[in-house]
Amino acid sequence: MSYLEYNVKYVPSGIRKLLYLNWPLILLVTAVCGLGFLMLYSIAGGSADPWMRPQLQRFGAGFALMMIVALVPIWFWRNMSVLAYLISLALLVAVEFFGEVGMGAQRWLNLGFITIQPSEVAKITLVMVLAAYYDWLPGRKVSHPFWMLPPILLIVLPTVLVLAQPNLGTSVLILVTGATVMFCAGVHWLYFATVIGSVAGAVTAVMQSRGTTWQLLHDYQYRRIDTFLDPTSDPMGAGYNITQATIALGSGGWTGRGFMQGTQSRLNFLPEKQTDFIFNTLAEEFGFIGSMTLLVLYALILIFCFTAAIQQKDKYSALLISGISMSFFMLFAVNMLMVMGLAPVVGVPLPLVSYGGSALMVLLVGFGLIQSAHVHRPR
Amino acid sequence: MIRRPLRPLAHILKARAQGENPEAIEKENIRIRHEEMRDRARTRAEARLLVLGGIFLIAFCMIGVEMAMLAGSEPEEPRAAASGSPIIGQRADITDRNGRILATNLETHALYAQPPEMIDPVGSAQQLAAIFPELDEDRLIRDFTGDRKFLWVRRQISPEQMQAVHDIGDPGLLFGPREMRLYPNGALAAHILGGASYGREGVDSAEVIGVAGVEKYFDSYLRDPANEGAPLELSIDVTAQAALEQVLDGGMTLMNAKGAAAILMDVHTGEIIAMASLPDFDPNNRPPAATSVDPSDNPLFNRAVQGVYELGSVFKIFAVAQALNLGLLNADTMVETAGPMIWGRFRINDFHNYGAQLSVTDVIVKSSNIGTAHIALMIGVERQQAFLRSLGLLAPTTVEMVEAPTGAPLVPRNWSEISLLTISYGHGLSSSPLHLASAYASLVNGGTRVTPTLVRQDGPQNGERIVSDAVSAEVRSMLRAVVTRGTASFGEVEGYEVGGKTGTADKPRPNGGYYDEKVISTFAGVFPASDPKYVLVLTLDEPVETSGSEPRRTAGWTAVPVAAELIRRVAPLMGLRPQVEIATLDDVSITSN
Repeated sequence: MSYLEYNVKYVPSGIRKLLYLNWPLILLVTAVCGLGFLMLYSIAGGSADPWMRPQLQRFGAGFALMMIVALVPIWFWRNMSVLAYLISLALLVAVEFFGEVGMGAQRWLNLGFITIQPSEVAKITLVMVLAAYYDWLPGRKVSHPFWMLPPILLIVLPTVLVLAQPNLGTSVLILVTGATVMFCAGVHWLYFATVIGSVAGAVTAVMQSRGTTWQLLHDYQYRRIDTFLDPTSDPMGAGYNITQATIALGSGGWTGRGFMQGTQSRLNFLPEKQTDFIFNTLAEEFGFIGSMTLLVLYALILIFCFTAAIQQKDKYSALLISGISMSFFMLFAVNMLMVMGLAPVVGVPLPLVSYGGSALMVLLVGFGLIQSAHVHRPR
Repeated sequence: MIRRPLRPLAHILKARAQGENPEAIEKENIRIRHEEMRDRARTRAEARLLVLGGIFLIAFCMIGVEMAMLAGSEPEEPRAAASGSPIIGQRADITDRNGRILATNLETHALYAQPPEMIDPVGSAQQLAAIFPELDEDRLIRDFTGDRKFLWVRRQISPEQMQAVHDIGDPGLLFGPREMRLYPNGALAAHILGGASYGREGVDSAEVIGVAGVEKYFDSYLRDPANEGAPLELSIDVTAQAALEQVLDGGMTLMNAKGAAAILMDVHTGEIIAMASLPDFDPNNRPPAATSVDPSDNPLFNRAVQGVYELGSVFKIFAVAQALNLGLLNADTMVETAGPMIWGRFRINDFHNYGAQLSVTDVIVKSSNIGTAHIALMIGVERQQAFLRSLGLLAPTTVEMVEAPTGAPLVPRNWSEISLLTISYGHGLSSSPLHLASAYASLVNGGTRVTPTLVRQDGPQNGERIVSDAVSAEVRSMLRAVVTRGTASFGEVEGYEVGGKTGTADKPRPNGGYYDEKVISTFAGVFPASDPKYVLVLTLDEPVETSGSEPRRTAGWTAVPVAAELIRRVAPLMGLRPQVEIATLDDVSITSN
């Protein structure tokens, strides 16, 4: 019996729960997914196969899952947090040994009936376990150094496992998402300032030492960093993706070339056009107006999540909502910065739009958790 | 945390005095404090969430602004960053002495297959076999349907073939760009150029490496990017080379020879102006290495450089020149020529009987073995060896071809007195036609050593002195006499003052002794004899001249007429104007009326 159940004065029950769902959020999520279907249809040259049909099926399954998760009381999920986290860790370890290789990294785990990407699952379960931890921890102990250790351990474990796959992009996302939950839980800002400051200092030291007699890395390592940070310096090699992607973005102009008229993506100039670089197809075909629409939809989703978080009286729910929305935000922010050439290409899909089952399902389950917290909130 | 003092006795007593329950007050106080704590936590959490929201907002704005900027910008094709000067990956061209291209590069494509990507392996294999008749259809089908992930189909294909393969339209058939070596003149100068092949091959490019001739000798030079694509200039003159090959080919057919070689060399610079060996090949499509029993019959075999033969009487001039230089005799000294000459168990014969004595000049003009042998006896073994060595006849030539070291002369293991005699008239010592050419050049150019070279030179070599200027002049007039009244009378080319020496040597049997009817017939010529510019050595392998009543094999009937035709064709190409010889002036009667 937690504080949550103790303080809930009114909980809708049965079918009435549907009325208390955050319907605008559901509609927004569905709208973004719909935009994704449209793009997948266009990329395949006006055909449901090979991408739109499976994506639609997964969306159907994911949507049902989201509703189920939403209707189960949030305190059940709270009690499940640790278990969920342990399971996702086990999956991450399993993927090291039994994982299938895709795009040069071990990311996929075939469970027989379904193929999943444990790193996606870990993002949500990490948020759950951290939220539960800070819900349990008395407020005055939050910034105590000793009580800082468990959450750091909880974050570092999945981060390292994902990094070993190797999947730099997702591991950074996991790290930042975890840190966000700690930040929202009220850990003293000096900790964050220290970490950010020392990382920035280390990076500066490494980059400043370049060319001096005491430089910290080899020349070739610096050149790799250069290409990583500025892929456009090598447009035919490492920078090929990003160069073609930027062309696609720019060629869309203000109003775009029109639905199914994108040349970059249709003519196969654009690599990974159905996953990481799907935004470029959108921008090419619908121009600035289309991409702004997507941006506004994302912003609205976040605003609704945010409002839900601020309204929450329950700590677990608030942390859960902010953690999940942060991981959602990180996904699309990094992806958009990446495809626009503002951030290195790290292989992060555009949430809800990119082709890919695991990411979509996990996000929908995440939104299901947000809905559950919303329905069963203390009023 | 600031605790409100709840328990002090004074407070309790005061509360009791006011009739209130101190327990209730305390409880209420605790509740209020908890509320406050929670409020503080909530305020902080809200503040944190707002900070987060601010970050979101900034990120949204950044993305929005960037999108607007991209939407407003004109799309631009990417250009490779100019990081330093471009590396010239091409193999350098090879040109002749006048800059005409002998070898260059061509962009082409290799065709390779990735069977796992193929849609219709069997159909594609059938269509490929139709496009490339040299491919085996069954083998292709096996390769395409087997376990192979990758295979080269053709190393280089023409644009027409590439289009045809494109039209098959199978995604598993792919093209890799690469460069190929092109010899635009086909078989011209084939042995000199050698040929090129592929080294390490990738789908994006392939390494072109020289496999023979100057291509291999200068491989690292041609591939060195530091030369910035500067072509390799050879000493060859394409026009002279073409004429030489044409005449040599015709001569070889006419004289029923199985092989032929010719070298045209500048006597002062040692530059090889033209050099050919027949039969030859097309370096664009180099035949496989020799598998037949006798590699010297393979077209790849360069008779001029690799082939070492006992060249016969052309050697006589060396003995005479040395004797003249040593002052042992002069051009008019009478030498014993009574035959046969018996030396130990050997008999030395002449082709004709020349009587008891001949002058030194006539020994050369009539080509007397016995006379030369007597001159050699005056010289002796030691001095003969030293002289031949100084002419470069005892070591491989240093010409810039990888094949040069394989053309090492065959020197008698025991250089006895009989070797001294036979070598003086060109038997018992085998050397290549190129050796002979540079030795002749060294004798007639005024007497300084020249080494043969295939690279364009800027001036004369001015090597070590071998014979004096006067001896060199005497040698030239003797060689001229051979043509005007001796064994090489068919060698006369009006206006070019040809001098030279013939040599007809029986070919040795592989297991000892000599063939009766197989000869190597050689003409070593020089023109113009009074002020020589070029040396020409022409060798025919097993020639037979059949226009007469009985087959003739001597050089005077075989090699010499071919050489004369060659000089007639090449001399004008080299810019030599026909000279009116002074001797003809005697016949002109000056009249006045």
